[in-house]
Amino acid sequence: MSKLFFFIFFSLVPLLCNSFSPEKPSDRRVLVLLDDFAVKSSHSLFFNSLKSRGFDLHFHLADDPKIALQRYGQYLFDALILFSPTIERFGGSVDAAAILDFVDSGHDLIVAVDTNASDLIREIATDCGVDFDEDPAAMVVDHSGYAVSATEGDHTLIASDDFIKSDVILGSKKIEAPVLFQGIGHSLSPSKNMVLKILSASPSAFSTKRNSKLTSPPSLTGSSISLVSVIQANNNARILISGSLSMFSNRFFRSGVQKAGSPTKHDKSGNEQFLTELCKWVFHERGHLKAENVQHHKVGEANTPAMYRINDTLEYSVEIFEWSGTTWEPYVADDVQVQFFMMSPYVLKTLSTDGKGNYFTSFKVPDVYGVFQFKVEYNKLGYTSLSLSKQIPVRPFRHNEYERFIPAAYPYYGAAFSMMAGFFVFTTIHLYHK
Amino acid sequence: MARSSSKDAQDLFRALWSAYSATPTNLKIIDLYVLFAISTALIQVAYMALVGSFPFNSFLSGVLSCVGTAVLAVCLRIQVNKENKEFKDLAPERAFADFVLCNLVLHLVIMNFLG
Repeated sequence: MSKLFFFIFFSLVPLLCNSFSPEKPSDRRVLVLLDDFAVKSSHSLFFNSLKSRGFDLHFHLADDPKIALQRYGQYLFDALILFSPTIERFGGSVDAAAILDFVDSGHDLIVAVDTNASDLIREIATDCGVDFDEDPAAMVVDHSGYAVSATEGDHTLIASDDFIKSDVILGSKKIEAPVLFQGIGHSLSPSKNMVLKILSASPSAFSTKRNSKLTSPPSLTGSSISLVSVIQANNNARILISGSLSMFSNRFFRSGVQKAGSPTKHDKSGNEQFLTELCKWVFHERGHLKAENVQHHKVGEANTPAMYRINDTLEYSVEIFEWSGTTWEPYVADDVQVQFFMMSPYVLKTLSTDGKGNYFTSFKVPDVYGVFQFKVEYNKLGYTSLSLSKQIPVRPFRHNEYERFIPAAYPYYGAAFSMMAGFFVFTTIHLYHK
Repeated sequence: MARSSSKDAQDLFRALWSAYSATPTNLKIIDLYVLFAISTALIQVAYMALVGSFPFNSFLSGVLSCVGTAVLAVCLRIQVNKENKEFKDLAPERAFADFVLCNLVLHLVIMNFLG
């Protein structure tokens, strides 16, 4: 009996290993924490689009005492979706610190909140660099950019089309229809510069209590309100924070949208396209780069030397690929630069590419010797950051490598030899003169 | 006034020259040798100003060989001068041997640095 058990276990090991790896950076296993299982069906379009792209979703109630992110030091999931805005305390071993550790170890996170977001969820968001409006009952209201609706007249249902301009984050296809949003706004901490505003509110928006008179100026106003933000950490973990859980819902996905003041009525809101493309980015199906096969050698030689001499001309090449979700595709850009670096860059050259992922350049080693580094520091909006460095010493000329018999130096040679001849003549005269 | 001052200068140089004429011939020969070395050095400096300092090591060794030669010759002159009481115990042969040895070392270094 136990043999059979072990056989089954070990035959499952390859399946269990099919998780995040540098070779396949897309996430696979996703933990979804919900307040209420009703969300699973009311947001099924969103979940189904993830499932259809091969994600393995594990649904749990957020206060389920059996949930755990890791077991025996191994993370059980590659990504976490928090659709539980009101949870005060997670079940099991999960807490805010555990979720931040999960992100710190390079995993991805999606947080969607609503009005009445709990302190726990706010704490997670604050640690990520996003501050939600402190008033628990506040909502974003926009009296000029609202979505025309027959049922809701308080202008909290916002049709926003103020997207970040980045093809890698939102996909190359333009999002035509505005995105419906109903929820709480947030501001970005000025000290956390890794947070990006993906969907911002219009200049006429503000954050206030629902159905209440404004007595004091609202704390958040205008386009400084962010509705949806993303963070890419230094370890390339990606976080999506949205102030509205309902924007993921089937109702908003299917609903038509007409922005106030605009004559065009779209049959379908932009939510589905917007969130699908955004999730592709968050789950590393797009914008994930890898660099490999760094090579350098002297011009005309094939072998990589252990050190260069000053004024050598060398060739440097690196291959950069982008993960497309299924395969590594060549990455094509004209702004990848290599530095030849010792305390400061002595050479900074833009690499040329052949369009097949191969980047190359050639340059002359500066007339300075010391320990240099080849450095590629590539940080582009929406892409994972590349940071390569390779150390290489540069030596001066050997004693026998200097140029000899330079025509310009002939007078100096002549002077030195005439001094010797003069010495000889002088000695003779000095000795024999009496 | 100007005339009288130029006349003074003429008188001064004439007096200098007549005083110098009394110098022993072997010292005059050394003076000529020093003059030759310094003028060669000046020519090289002028040449460097003209064509640039590219083989700088060659320039340095060329000029320094001239300067070194001049300095050593001056030292020799001090030591063989009979009126110089400080070195009256030093035999002129010994002074000349020192001079030759120092010149050999100087030219060895110069050849090494000439490039």
